Amino acid sequence: MNNRILGALRSPITFSVLAGVLIGALFLVGTGADPIASYEAVLTGSLGADGIGSTLTTGTSVLGMALALAIPLRAGLINLGGDGQMVLGGITAAVTGLYSPLPAPLTVVLALLAGMAAGAAYAALAALCENHFGVPLLVSSLLLSYPAVSLASYLARYPLKEPGSSLPQTRSLPDGVALPAFGDSTVTWGLVLVVLAAAAYWFTDQRTAIGYEIRMTGLNSRFAAYAGVERRGLTLKLMSVSGATAGLVGAIGVLSFPYRFVDGSLTAPGYTWTGLTAALLATAAPLGTVVASFFFAVLQVGGLAMERTTEVPRELTQVLQAIVIVFLAARLRFPSRWFNRRKEAV
Amino acid sequence: MTPPRADAPDVAVELRGITKRFPGTVANDAVDLTVRRGEIHALMGENGAGKSTLMSILYGMTRADAGSVLVDGREADFASPGDAMAAGLGMVHQSFKLFDSLSVAENVVLAAEPRRFGLVDRAAARRRVRELAEEHGLAVDPDARVGELPVGLRQRVEILKLLHRGARTLILDEPTAVLTPAEADALFAVLKSLAAQGRTVILVTHKLREVLEGSDRVTVLRDGRVVARLVTAETSADEIAAAMTGRAVELDRIHAPGTPGDVVLAVSGLTTDGVSEASLTVRAGEIVGIAGVAGNGQSELIEALAGLRPTTAGRVTLLQQDISHASATERRLKGLAYVPEDRHAVGTAPAASVAENLAMGHHRTTLSSRGLLPPAGVRAHARQLIERFGIKAPTPEVPASALSGGNLQKLLIGRELAHEVPLLLVEQPTRGVDIGAIQNIHDQLIAYRDAGHAVLLVSAELSEIRGLADRVLVMYEGRITASYDKNQADERTLGLAMAGGASREAVTVEAVD
Repeated sequence: MNNRILGALRSPITFSVLAGVLIGALFLVGTGADPIASYEAVLTGSLGADGIGSTLTTGTSVLGMALALAIPLRAGLINLGGDGQMVLGGITAAVTGLYSPLPAPLTVVLALLAGMAAGAAYAALAALCENHFGVPLLVSSLLLSYPAVSLASYLARYPLKEPGSSLPQTRSLPDGVALPAFGDSTVTWGLVLVVLAAAAYWFTDQRTAIGYEIRMTGLNSRFAAYAGVERRGLTLKLMSVSGATAGLVGAIGVLSFPYRFVDGSLTAPGYTWTGLTAALLATAAPLGTVVASFFFAVLQVGGLAMERTTEVPRELTQVLQAIVIVFLAARLRFPSRWFNRRKEAV
Repeated sequence: MTPPRADAPDVAVELRGITKRFPGTVANDAVDLTVRRGEIHALMGENGAGKSTLMSILYGMTRADAGSVLVDGREADFASPGDAMAAGLGMVHQSFKLFDSLSVAENVVLAAEPRRFGLVDRAAARRRVRELAEEHGLAVDPDARVGELPVGLRQRVEILKLLHRGARTLILDEPTAVLTPAEADALFAVLKSLAAQGRTVILVTHKLREVLEGSDRVTVLRDGRVVARLVTAETSADEIAAAMTGRAVELDRIHAPGTPGDVVLAVSGLTTDGVSEASLTVRAGEIVGIAGVAGNGQSELIEALAGLRPTTAGRVTLLQQDISHASATERRLKGLAYVPEDRHAVGTAPAASVAENLAMGHHRTTLSSRGLLPPAGVRAHARQLIERFGIKAPTPEVPASALSGGNLQKLLIGRELAHEVPLLLVEQPTRGVDIGAIQNIHDQLIAYRDAGHAVLLVSAELSEIRGLADRVLVMYEGRITASYDKNQADERTLGLAMAGGASREAVTVEAVD
């Protein structure tokens, strides 16, 4: 156990985060700000009584998207279409919420399931493009994302637009068609759902035969193929689950405040990219993905707080994020070098 | 700085007290190596003995922690292979560093092109290659595309490349691993003539026979230390093998034949990319060996049998069930296990743990129930196989990349044997594996056969085929061109057939049920 703690401390992730914090401090000093006060503002703003709710709400979306991207990434597949799948999930949930004849609680469940189904189907389409037409997944998923986002935008601006409103948004969902919140916070059951999804991902990854096959495919796809893992089927399954998770995030977004689909509100905060970063940072390991997502949610929310209280622009936290990523990317070289040495030496 | 010594002119390369540590191991421990000018010096040792590390230090790819390198009597401190080349060293790596789509001449002059008005002088390049080839007996067509050349000729291109750059000392890493016996003989003729011209050859190898036939002196490494310095003319295979392994080993054992039973695998007219109309049968309790130079369709045939390569024609039955169109998984479930040729790229996931690597294939059968794969079961399975097959791994949790070549191969073979299925396909089971491990692996394969399983063995190593196989098929240019019983399959006959000497009519493949 001691070794594990030591290992975690020595890991490149700790190093990258510390290096990011240090270089960020230099930036702060350079702009004439007090780094300690600024970092304090980030932490109190995100983890203090006023900020924690916001961090958990943001964390819900970031973790959800991080999971959506981590699941295929574990097998070495990159789903770049998170935005499209999330937005389709959102608009589908909104339509379901608006027009479902069922009682409100059932409508909520139905809207979540419909959102997941829409995301899954759309991601599966990207997988089919790779499997049957040889379009690389990276390309098919990314390019399919744009028409999905545009379609949702069109729906929110024209057929489904709230009458009389000047904003590109649908009508508000009927009373009761919403995820229950904790107390009077903005944190909803959406967080629970996403955490459950993370737990399911961890369990599948660590305890099941398919999780094992996924990991081995990610580590060496030829090895997995040799042992009979069928790549096309796996791609299709993983992309469907990935899309379903992204769709779930979209549906949660619509079923939480402001309880409607607002064009751009799901994509503007960049959850997909933050999520992708978190997943890459953790090399898609389940627990690491959770921790990294939380870290980025803290940075995102704390950055806003820092801007309010210290007049340091919140872009600085993006700089911090970027530095952490650059250091992590550099890490990619170290293990391979150790790896080569070991191969030679033993 | 050490001043040049009086005897320096005789010595081409001298390594003094080279020590190199890696986390957890000492790869080279105060190694001294003296290579005289104009000799063929064999550097021998099992995998992990420190040969590669020593050569990468000499060639500027790694730096030593202690010790010095002297080339032509002058102290050298190479920061890169470029420095080493400038000092007159040249290395032919095990995997060739050539551009397949370029011509021989282009490959040879690359990075040292003859120029004219600032442009590459192609005519001069071709001329240069022809001259070099003639001078050293390395006939190659300068205009041929390297990708279309057989391996033996590609190796010549590598050697020409070094000679073009003026290398006086040539380091060859396992040069005969991919050659036919005849090609190997040709290579040694070239090396001997180079040595006679005053060039120096360092031969890194673990093959005893070629060392005995082709070298002047031998330095043997074991566990990072020099354990023997021998003059080839005064030593024997047994003495070198004993120095390499630290114990007496029985070399080139011919195992007793098996007792073939019912047909397990029957293949008729199998055709795929690289294989035409292959027909063969393998019976229970029998090892059928496929001999052939690498690249004559053996790998493709085995991949097709394993369900990893689509076939265009032919019928394959396993225990009378038609598996001609079955997927890899279905074939495994019907009773096939497979040890592929490339253990790093195909047979294992080097970054995954030993336990995870040992679980592959078992993860859907014995190790899991209702889709769950309990980690405790995976670990127990790993410990059991590590014990049973003598795999040297500190714990089941270390990554497979931490194992030596021989141990990784034991892992792979152990994993596949543990399936206890009727048919085992095994490719190059001992390529790059230590002598000690070779014996162990051969014993395992024989025991598997004697337990009544069918084994189809592909090997480029003639001694292996002769030692293990009850029947030998030879593949040449995608066809099975000859079939011999154990007692007919002597080295000369097989060598001839591998080089295409067996006529198509000579095939005596049994009829398929």
